[in-house]
Amino acid sequence: MLTTLAQSAFSTWLLSSNSIWAYPTVLTLHTFGMMVLVGAALMIDLRLLGFGRGIPVTSIERLFRVMWGAFALNAVTGTMLFIADADKRGPDPLFWTKLTLVAIGLVTAKMIKRGSFDGHVEPVVITGAARRLAVVSLFAWTAAITAGRLLAYVG
Amino acid sequence: MPTLANGADLAHLHLLLNHFPTIGTILGLGLLLLSFGRRNEHLKKVSFEVLFLIALATLPVYVSGNAAAEALKGQAGVSAAAIVAHNDAALGSFIMMEITGFFAWLALWRMRRIGRLTTGLTYTVLVLTVLTVAAVSRAALLGGDIRHPEIEGGQYAGLFGAGSGPSFISALAIKNFVLQHPFVWPTCETLHFIGMSLMFGVLMIVNLRLLGWLRGMSFASVHRLLPFGLMGFGINFITGMFFFIAAAEQYTQNVAFHWKVVFLMLAGVNYLVLTVYDEAWALPASAEAPLSGKLLGGSALVLSVCVMYFGRMLPFIGNAF
Repeated sequence: MLTTLAQSAFSTWLLSSNSIWAYPTVLTLHTFGMMVLVGAALMIDLRLLGFGRGIPVTSIERLFRVMWGAFALNAVTGTMLFIADADKRGPDPLFWTKLTLVAIGLVTAKMIKRGSFDGHVEPVVITGAARRLAVVSLFAWTAAITAGRLLAYVG
Repeated sequence: MPTLANGADLAHLHLLLNHFPTIGTILGLGLLLLSFGRRNEHLKKVSFEVLFLIALATLPVYVSGNAAAEALKGQAGVSAAAIVAHNDAALGSFIMMEITGFFAWLALWRMRRIGRLTTGLTYTVLVLTVLTVAAVSRAALLGGDIRHPEIEGGQYAGLFGAGSGPSFISALAIKNFVLQHPFVWPTCETLHFIGMSLMFGVLMIVNLRLLGWLRGMSFASVHRLLPFGLMGFGINFITGMFFFIAAAEQYTQNVAFHWKVVFLMLAGVNYLVLTVYDEAWALPASAEAPLSGKLLGGSALVLSVCVMYFGRMLPFIGNAF
């Protein structure tokens, strides 16, 4: 199955096309999505941890939309990159570690949204639980980046 | 992609730019001293802005210097030791310059927040600037020793030259450290991506506010997050310099790197304007930013995406990695 994917016409095109629109562009879009997704998540986390107290919590709710949009982009580009290297990534535990960390990050973001944003009006009280979720989020995203980046060097 | 500059062009550029750090820091120091004499806060602010811009301009000076060294390598009458001595002194003064630029920026940011300059930060910048002037003058003097036969007989030639004491920092030692330890490069890459995300997160919240897509917060409240953006930049500056020093020839001849530096300079100027931006300062939570603010916000986002794009494209555009 993984080998079939890795040997598909799509994979061959993505990896061996000399076009700048193939692999380099997909990889760059994946990096862009990562920067936007993690950037938005970090800002929400920092605010919940007490930095930029002058910023009303409700006013940054739109950053969640930025996160979902960036995640959609990376789900698509990430799938493309996986297909291209399926036989190598499929059995790689580091790859599944990365996906698990991304899943933790996304679930944490959902929980943060429910706990501190949905239906809340100013002044929003930031609970201890919200701050703990922010710490989990910070950890999950930096660890996901670490795992993703190391994929290029390990194995 | 057509090349922006070949090795000789970059060596030429180095000759053109290499006086900026020396003269610029002396000018910044002069303005700062004048601001003390005249008790003029505005002049002090200008001197900090000058120091920040010179710190920014020192990056192309340093990286083009590496291209100049490659172009000069093996030419008659050029001593390799003189180049190494100049490069090490230049690297040391470059680091000093960036620290000074950082504190100058911090002073400007604090000033914007509390309405006046704090004494502690002002004197920190003053001391750092004096040290930077000394370091950069030494680097300039050593640079002159590389190929100026007309000054060889002078009484002061070689005063701070190679062998006149251990160098403060060695580019070769850094290069060896990065290349001999397999963990260093991936670690720096990871930190580079985390720093980038942190920086872009701050740029998003500040500039989407200016553009009006994020509403309901005052500009002053998002301005508070700017140091986090600079923290991200600091991480990327340090890790980026590790890459550059370890494999300079991969970058000096890479057109994607040239564009990256160009956009980095523009993004840096943009960040300074964002820090001292007056028009939006009093902007209450619900108000729309003036057109200048929207242009500033839009260009900040476009420029930083360009920096990321050419960074990611380093292995794919121009020279192979």
